[in-house]
Amino acid sequence: MSSNRELTMSSYVGIGVGLMLIVCFEVILTYQHMAPRTLLFALLCLACLEAYVGVMYLMHVRYERPILFWTIFPATLFVLGFLCYLFPDAFRMLNMRLMK
Amino acid sequence: MSQSELTIAAGHEVVMEASPYGIEKKKLGMWVFIVSDACTFGAFLFAYGYMRIGAPVWGTPFEFSSILNGMIMTAVLLSSSLTMLAAVRAAQAGERASVSKWMGATMLLGAVFAALHLREWFNLIGEGWRLFANPTGGPAQFGATFFSVTGLHLTHVVTGVIALGFVARGYNQGRYDQSHIETAGLYWHFVDLVWMFVFPLMYLMNAH
Amino acid sequence: MAEMQVHAAHHAPPQGFIRKYVFSVDHKVIGIQYLTLGVVAAFIGMALSWAMRLHLAYPDFRIPLLGWLSPNGAPNGVMTPEYYLSLMTMHGTIMAFFVLTAAPFAGFGNFVLPIQVGAADMAFPRLNMSSFWVTFVGFLLAVATFFIPDGPPLSGWTAYAPLSAVGPVAGPGQGWGQTLWVLSIAMFCIASLLGALNFIVTTLDLRTKGLTLSRLPLSTWAWFIDAWVSLLAFAVLLPCGLLLALDRLGGTSFFIPGGLVFNDQLQPHSGGSPLLFQHLFWFFGHPEVYIIILPAFGIVSHIFPTFIRKPLVGGWKVITFAEIGVGTLSFVVWGHHMFVSGMSPFMAMVFSWPTLFITIPSVIAVLIWVFSLYGSNIRFDTPMLYSLGFVSLFITGGIGGFFLAQPSTDSYLHATSFVVGHFHFTMGLSAVFATFAGFYYWYPKMFGRMMNETLGKLHFWLSFVGVYCVFITLHLTGFAGAVRRYSAFVDDFMIPLMPAQRFMTISALLLGAAQFIFLFNAIWSRFKGPKASDNPWGATTLEWATTSPPPFDNFGGRQLTVYHGPMEYDGEASVMQTSPEASIAGT
Repeated sequence: MSSNRELTMSSYVGIGVGLMLIVCFEVILTYQHMAPRTLLFALLCLACLEAYVGVMYLMHVRYERPILFWTIFPATLFVLGFLCYLFPDAFRMLNMRLMK
Repeated sequence: MSQSELTIAAGHEVVMEASPYGIEKKKLGMWVFIVSDACTFGAFLFAYGYMRIGAPVWGTPFEFSSILNGMIMTAVLLSSSLTMLAAVRAAQAGERASVSKWMGATMLLGAVFAALHLREWFNLIGEGWRLFANPTGGPAQFGATFFSVTGLHLTHVVTGVIALGFVARGYNQGRYDQSHIETAGLYWHFVDLVWMFVFPLMYLMNAH
Repeated sequence: MAEMQVHAAHHAPPQGFIRKYVFSVDHKVIGIQYLTLGVVAAFIGMALSWAMRLHLAYPDFRIPLLGWLSPNGAPNGVMTPEYYLSLMTMHGTIMAFFVLTAAPFAGFGNFVLPIQVGAADMAFPRLNMSSFWVTFVGFLLAVATFFIPDGPPLSGWTAYAPLSAVGPVAGPGQGWGQTLWVLSIAMFCIASLLGALNFIVTTLDLRTKGLTLSRLPLSTWAWFIDAWVSLLAFAVLLPCGLLLALDRLGGTSFFIPGGLVFNDQLQPHSGGSPLLFQHLFWFFGHPEVYIIILPAFGIVSHIFPTFIRKPLVGGWKVITFAEIGVGTLSFVVWGHHMFVSGMSPFMAMVFSWPTLFITIPSVIAVLIWVFSLYGSNIRFDTPMLYSLGFVSLFITGGIGGFFLAQPSTDSYLHATSFVVGHFHFTMGLSAVFATFAGFYYWYPKMFGRMMNETLGKLHFWLSFVGVYCVFITLHLTGFAGAVRRYSAFVDDFMIPLMPAQRFMTISALLLGAAQFIFLFNAIWSRFKGPKASDNPWGATTLEWATTSPPPFDNFGGRQLTVYHGPMEYDGEASVMQTSPEASIAGT
């Protein structure tokens, strides 16, 4: 049976603090006057990092059998990845719309 | 009776093939649900991205006060994840009394999150924001995407708080055990992790 | 694989009519409820198609029932063009969702899968019951659209925005009709998601001792793979439906562009994208057709060994990996429904290549079935006839797919009846024939009686000839340019096709009449059919190791141990999965 007791509660609090620090870093980045595309890329990378830490530690997947990881991540990333096929038409909408 | 069959008398053990995942079927069920819910939220966020890319001018109306509010909400939700974790650990250690305490704390923090969120919504509505209206003159899709995405998340938070209440009560009455607390915990952490995407994409990308 | 000991959960059998047959958590009852829903929905959907076909071939034909149902839609019993579209919409919706997605997956899967894995029930029985009743309410909402003043929506089962999004100004049925439709589909979405979850956890966690994944029956494998496809596809349909609902009821403009004029009224929306709707819908919509066909693959793969008395070529692995390939690739081809929509032409190519690739695992599956027949003594019982019919129909339908997979040929064929012929063959006919195969095969297990073989064979041959008459002709009229979703063929180039339209209508009506043979057989056999033994077909999987029908907990308190794979057949001899005898087919 799995247990969330591999780490101490203080370690989990540390992880929580770390996640909050990443959020603060995201806020700092927001006010750095960078191009929206760059900011988006940076924010998405940081959010993915937070999600990874959250899933592995808070949701305990780090201590479960590997097959759980290899089931949930590929399935979810597969769907989210191929949804990206939508975006070429978004750019066409930007460039070809009638009403600006 | 052939040798391959054993009669199961009441209370006897049944031998089954072990689950490849080594976790209770409740938890596996919750993980499968989480995968589908992640795809649902993902599709919503992709629709938001599509609308935003296709709009020549989107506008960035959120002042720092909104961002600060968002940071506080993030901190509240993260704390609630930690209290939920504490509840799970207490359940696994058999400390029944602590479980209610930590579950209650999680529910309280969830309710605080919802209250902060609703307060922010009412402020925006007061300024003229609607699903179909943008008081700054920018595209109406801003309100549509903002309220629908954050609204879906808020629905998950409120439903989660209510569900946690039922699970806590069942645990206190002895009908539920630690696996129920763990399963509820998985849902709650998922709701927190979705916020980790909603906050940067809906708030920080729209910060002034 | 490791084993684990689990405390047997014991529930007393339910008492009382309501708990036993209505609000039952027993997967067998739920499976039969889904199948009954599927049969009722199929007859409603078929009746709608008769009305449509009558109107197409005989434009002045009066149908009094329609006139009673909708005086505005069918004054004097002759349908208006709008009402034709409404009937078309509900035909597609009811058939695609409540028949084709419900019956082979939720119907047979619910009844058979837990028994095939040696479990007493699904992993989450109460969730299972809720899934059925939510589906049922969704079905009632869909049927209710016929009885509201404005009638059912007319935007097709695909409900493209902006027509479906702007509300009543777009035409009859686009007010409450469309709203009820969206609600119905949303309920179906949620029920399907939860059902898929149940199938996945049951297959992974509730297998009895000795039933490793390599020994799973092929139908269970197909339901399991299908459940994953279902889970991920319906997860994206739900937001599509929610955004459509927001456009309709919340005043948003996700899918409604600016400058849109309906009936001389400028719509108060701007900034939305109809293409976004199509992308989100077809992201679900293409996997949906594989959600429909995968259980059919599984049922046929399961039935074949029983009646050819040998394992399938390649064992369990090749066909299962072909199904996994089909299921996975189904998510990356959806744009082939959008070649003429104004989508990026580059993306059209990106979608066209995998659409051609997906034929590879499909063809591998077909070749396995065909090659397995070689050198076997085929028992032509009705389930086998229908399975062979399935292979024939799937090949025919699949060939049409090559033309539609390429943007060049598709730009001519899109929105012609060629497409209608293609998807009816692959979805409507193949999956339905596989469902019939499943019916004739598992009926003895479900009801303890055999269906009548003569009536079964008669039903098969009439149906097989009938479907080819109707749907091959559709391909041909499509080549000639007949446009789909038209209620009348008044253009010069379509008038010469009227004899073909009449041929199809008459064939369709005869085909529909033949289905009553099945209905009669199913109902009559329930009471008067010869009693069935535990294993009337001489099959090997776990459902045949218990009584017909099975007891409440499926095995009467016995713990089964599995020693072999599911295809231990060698001519007349066969070894059940639960028998400790030596393997005869090396599976």
